[in-house]
Amino acid sequence: MNQSYKDTEAGEEPAVITLAGVSFGYDPEHPILHDINVSIPQGQWVSIVGPNGCGKSTLVKLLNALLPKSAGEITVCGHTLQEETIGDIRQCIGMVFQNPDNQFIGQTVEEDILFGLEGLCLPYEEMKQRLDLYTVKLGIDHLLSKHPGELSGGQKQRVALASILAMKPGIVILDEASSMLDEGSRDELMGILRDMQAEGAYTILLITHDPDEILASDRVLALHGGSIAADVPPAQLFRNEDLLEKCHLREPYPWRLARELQNRGITVDVPASEKELIDTLWPYNFSK
Amino acid sequence: MAIQLQQVSYTYADRSMWKQTALHGINLNIAQGSLTGIAGATGSGKSTLLQLFNGILKPTEGTVQVFDITITAGEKSPKLLPLRRRVGLVFQFPEQQMFEDTVEKDLCFGPLNFGVSPEEAKERARKAMTDMGLDLALLERNPFRLSGGQMRKAAIASVLAMDPDIVVLDEPTATLDPVSRAELIALLERLCREQGRTIIIVTHRMDELLPYADSWALLKDGGLAFQGSGQELAADPAILERCGLTVPQSLRYWQAVAQRFGLAGEKPLLTAEALAERIAALLEERKNAAGMEEKGNGHE
Amino acid sequence: MNERLLLGRSIDTGSWVHKLDARSKITGMLLYVVIILLSNSWMEIGLIAVFSIIVMATTRIPLKYFIKAAKPLRYLMLFIFIVQSLSVKEGDVLWSLGSFSLHEGGLRLGAFSVIRMLFLLTFTALLTFTTTPGKLNQGLEGVLAPFKKLGLSPDRITLMISIALRFIPTILDEAQIILKAQASRGADLKELPLKEKARMLVSLLVPVIASAFRRAQDLVYSMEARGFRMDAPRSRYHRLRWGAADTLFVAMFVVLGIAVALL
Repeated sequence: MNQSYKDTEAGEEPAVITLAGVSFGYDPEHPILHDINVSIPQGQWVSIVGPNGCGKSTLVKLLNALLPKSAGEITVCGHTLQEETIGDIRQCIGMVFQNPDNQFIGQTVEEDILFGLEGLCLPYEEMKQRLDLYTVKLGIDHLLSKHPGELSGGQKQRVALASILAMKPGIVILDEASSMLDEGSRDELMGILRDMQAEGAYTILLITHDPDEILASDRVLALHGGSIAADVPPAQLFRNEDLLEKCHLREPYPWRLARELQNRGITVDVPASEKELIDTLWPYNFSK
Repeated sequence: MAIQLQQVSYTYADRSMWKQTALHGINLNIAQGSLTGIAGATGSGKSTLLQLFNGILKPTEGTVQVFDITITAGEKSPKLLPLRRRVGLVFQFPEQQMFEDTVEKDLCFGPLNFGVSPEEAKERARKAMTDMGLDLALLERNPFRLSGGQMRKAAIASVLAMDPDIVVLDEPTATLDPVSRAELIALLERLCREQGRTIIIVTHRMDELLPYADSWALLKDGGLAFQGSGQELAADPAILERCGLTVPQSLRYWQAVAQRFGLAGEKPLLTAEALAERIAALLEERKNAAGMEEKGNGHE
Repeated sequence: MNERLLLGRSIDTGSWVHKLDARSKITGMLLYVVIILLSNSWMEIGLIAVFSIIVMATTRIPLKYFIKAAKPLRYLMLFIFIVQSLSVKEGDVLWSLGSFSLHEGGLRLGAFSVIRMLFLLTFTALLTFTTTPGKLNQGLEGVLAPFKKLGLSPDRITLMISIALRFIPTILDEAQIILKAQASRGADLKELPLKEKARMLVSLLVPVIASAFRRAQDLVYSMEARGFRMDAPRSRYHRLRWGAADTLFVAMFVVLGIAVALL
């Protein structure tokens, strides 16, 4: 581990996820994850990044026992992960996966959202209330009777998110949930995540390659070769070229431009917009 | 021209299983040896358009001409096999179409279908692997054992092995990580520049293709909303918004700089490196100009 | 409207049939299938026809949707018509060519078979047209409930059916794309000699199956992540309620059955 990250604002919050010495692998000689130690406080938005095959997806699947850890201890929302607590832990964690089609369980939007709620054995009124609340929240209330074949990828991902939010998890994990979406739908999903973060009720874990998604998060866990290579705020990741290269990532365009300018002896901060850049570089309007 | 579409419309038959968008009144020219980007919002008809290029779909109106092969709506179409050999069409997630137990066999599948001898097919497989920047040792591997990025490249190589003059790719970089995406675009650009192949790429991430594309075609609701060079696009980025697309940041920054300095006539600089270089030069110019002025003032 | 979506798609007009308990509709349909299969005279089929058309009309769903439901099997019906017509050598000869001859009896039987099939297909479509997939599943679970004692698990069966109905269209779509992709690599099923076609089939089946497994894996993760456990208790959003209308609905079919049996 070359960098350690102390979270000052959220430091007071109790950890909702703790991993201590966690490993995973089918072959002990070649573990997929090795000795992972990390603790995530309530309400934090964490991006998990790294090259393909670094174990990002495996890591989050260990949390709710979709895959069995081979060593170490996992604690989620106060439950230590073992056979008896799997049910409780799964109730605390909602997951959205990459392929919008393969996680649409029901034959209609309504059915898909009810799938999890019926499993919680909720009474009718409670189901009805949550169904209404979350479909309105995610803007899919007009699609209730639609089949997945009639929905766009972005709409399907919103249904997936509504399905898990309706189960009221404290932790929401998105496993490359936006990577198969077009730009517009990606922006929409980001907007929803931002709202969720503002609400403060969710701890968000986002597996992603997208610079803008990483930038929006509080903290970045970079995985490489099955262990944590860095645990830093996004700004620190984007300033570290070696780390970016190692994780197969690129910085957002304004960061790249600022760095290229700095390399040419022009000192600028990362601009928030193109206008800001122009105003900093040329404070007076020279144009004739 | 490598591909010419005249007044092409395509309507899916009533009983079609497809929910893809129909096309109407498309006039499109794609120059031989060029790198063309096609963009448009979801459901604008991009995938339908691509399938017209190699005769998978036949126009319901108008004429599709690819080199000397012409498909006219309502007329008996020519033999499609020669067309398919010259136009390699790479579908989305091409790795999902691999089926042989070694990468080499999968790469030879195309060439063998087009009547190439087994030796020649193997030779082409090796060349295609090299073109895609893959290690020849992978030829013996099972395609399902490759990493995601390798599998994508191998699947594209399986179309390149047909030695097509035109390569058409539907979202080739989807779900890859940013570095692999940039690598793949660079490889495709080399195919265009070094081997003279015509490359057509459908993308919804315009930013990664903008610095390289010679021309762009933008689709909106099944119609062609724009066709022209990146420079023309840079002059009027609002067209992107009208097509339901986001204006890439590289374009926004270039436009801001170009506006301030009246560079609108220049070829747009759409990489951070190139733009930074230009900004540095501009600042230098200003400094010198200011220096001269001061000197001039001093004389008075 | 495309055919794929008609499969298992409800059309809500709020008619009395829509409001029925899915169990009564399933029972009614089962009876209907038996009645159709047992019918063997024009008189009987006439009675069934009148009954069917009246019930279909009361759903307030346009008749063209019912006809569309039978459309995918039109070639099968044509085939049955031709085979039946030519195989029966009764009555006057209407037309003959070489060893083929068309007799009046054959034509009659051919027409009879096709009409029976037509009613079977159009009328049973009523079940899916008036019932949402969720309710249909629950109804099926209800109908199968008595078999629990025999060690059968209705939840499993209905889960299986609903997942199959959900994913078959997706997998068919994907098969189409793979077909096109292989055609683009020079393997066009339409343009190849028979011997090559077998090889082509491998190039289609391997990717389709590989992808179905991938989807299955994803689906399992997604279900488990939402807390699903097989045979665990679940509550129900839509409740099954058997009312007087349901009894009436089933009784109608029983009466029809008796009438057909007596004729």
